[in-house]
Amino acid sequence: MTEAEGYHRPDKESIARPLHGIDQTTTLVDNEFFIRAAFAESPQKGFEALFRIYYNPLCSHALRFVYTREVAEDIVGEVFYQFWKNKAFTVVQFTYRTYLYAAVRHRAYNYLRDELTGSRTPSSLDELDVAIGEESPLTLIEYDETFQRLEKVINELPSQCQRVFLMSRFENRKNQEIASELGIALKTVESHLSRALRQMRQLLLSSISLIFIGLH
Amino acid sequence: MEELVNKTLVFDYFAGKVSPFQKKSIEAWLAIPGNRDIYYQWLHEWETNNLQLATNWEIAFETASRRIQYSVQESDPAGKASIRWWQRPGFWMAAASIVFLIGLSGWLSVDLIRYQTIETSYGETRRYVLPDGSVVELNANSSIRFPRFGFTEKGLLASLVGTSTGRRVELTGEADFSVRHLPNHQPFVVTTSKGLAVNVLGTQFTVFSRARRTQVVLRSGKVELTMPKQSNNRPLTMKPGDLVVLDAEGKLAVRQTAHPEELSAWKQHRFTFEQTSLREISQILQENYGLTVRIDGDELANRTISGSFPAQNANELIQLVAELLQINYFRDNNNVTFTN
Repeated sequence: MTEAEGYHRPDKESIARPLHGIDQTTTLVDNEFFIRAAFAESPQKGFEALFRIYYNPLCSHALRFVYTREVAEDIVGEVFYQFWKNKAFTVVQFTYRTYLYAAVRHRAYNYLRDELTGSRTPSSLDELDVAIGEESPLTLIEYDETFQRLEKVINELPSQCQRVFLMSRFENRKNQEIASELGIALKTVESHLSRALRQMRQLLLSSISLIFIGLH
Repeated sequence: MEELVNKTLVFDYFAGKVSPFQKKSIEAWLAIPGNRDIYYQWLHEWETNNLQLATNWEIAFETASRRIQYSVQESDPAGKASIRWWQRPGFWMAAASIVFLIGLSGWLSVDLIRYQTIETSYGETRRYVLPDGSVVELNANSSIRFPRFGFTEKGLLASLVGTSTGRRVELTGEADFSVRHLPNHQPFVVTTSKGLAVNVLGTQFTVFSRARRTQVVLRSGKVELTMPKQSNNRPLTMKPGDLVVLDAEGKLAVRQTAHPEELSAWKQHRFTFEQTSLREISQILQENYGLTVRIDGDELANRTISGSFPAQNANELIQLVAELLQINYFRDNNNVTFTN
């Protein structure tokens, strides 16, 4: 898709759309009403409803940042666990959806930042979900730009490099396995992986460091 | 500027397809109180329409429930308020005598204490989540046994108790495993009565270990098969779609199966037959439902069925088989007879 197409397409349709958007809103709010009703019955029932509705899309969203299935599931699982353990669901002032998405994005983004800057600490993922619901519009947009840029970087990798990267990350395969399955040398696999990481770093770190100057 | 913002624009924005000006108007729109909730709502809708992967929320929910129950027990407020139970007078005396009694009965050999057993009766299937979050689905007339202590750690406790430590599951019968990968890459081993061990490296597979046959089917991931009690113990690595059968002489034969998931169709109460003879189906009736089957004549016993069929219980399966082969059957309690 070129930039030029991106310019006119939404404009053309925007006049008729707002009403439609509002209609969609109502159905989704009702969705949360059922979750609240489930919570009124018991936390167990409430969480079952939350997992059913949000677990999969949240993992899918986290994956856009971390590109590893296990990590994405761990992040989402941890957010649900903290939400449950701290009984945050009793005091949440906005929708459950807002809380869960904000917390997952915050963690996934921090994970990616730590991975690319090599500053991963054991507690990186255990930090509390503080400041959830206080992100500025700019932060929200920076998060979105991060996963979009990441997708672009990975899409633009040479095809075999991309394949090796996805096998290693998404399928969690060992370098030696990838080498024997693709019939290439172990060294080649390693160089593909470090190339992918280098590209991610180059395209992301400049913008990420800017965000952090902006935040503090 | 922010009045330009609607769902279509925000969806295009998520997909990275908007102009810098449009992005600016979204930023302005986000600053308005209440719009952040709408933003997340649309993000959720967009993500739901553009999923990157399929997960199993039920497993995740059960794992989280377990963690919660565990942490609730740990931080029981009653324990903090009063004298801790082990500080009560007489506790140590009682404890010492209990330890003595247990020691007396040779407790290291008491499997009831060391192992937890999960079993299914005839005609029952059961789903069970192991302490590490891995999921086992047991077919009828099957059981698994695993260490009660130290299942998820190679810890001191487990070695003190003398259990073979770590994630080890002993299987009798037929079960389907979805093994969770742990951050410390701890192995998961399934052992069978015929001495075949399946070493798992994070994956989904079905193990069948009954009197007539032992077989392993791998759906995804990677497992390694070993025969720990044999001298020439060379591991065999399976690829997804492989079906390995342990023959009577204790040799492993590898075959390819195009539809590995069909071999665990019993999870959905389906039976998948591929040129399966009535004789083999009788064995299934025997293994899964505890029925004794008599077939009238060898010719009838050798007739075969192919296809995948639903059957909730023994009667449905018997009826189905009789209809497909156009034969008669007679059932008296646990005895079934097939006749022409």
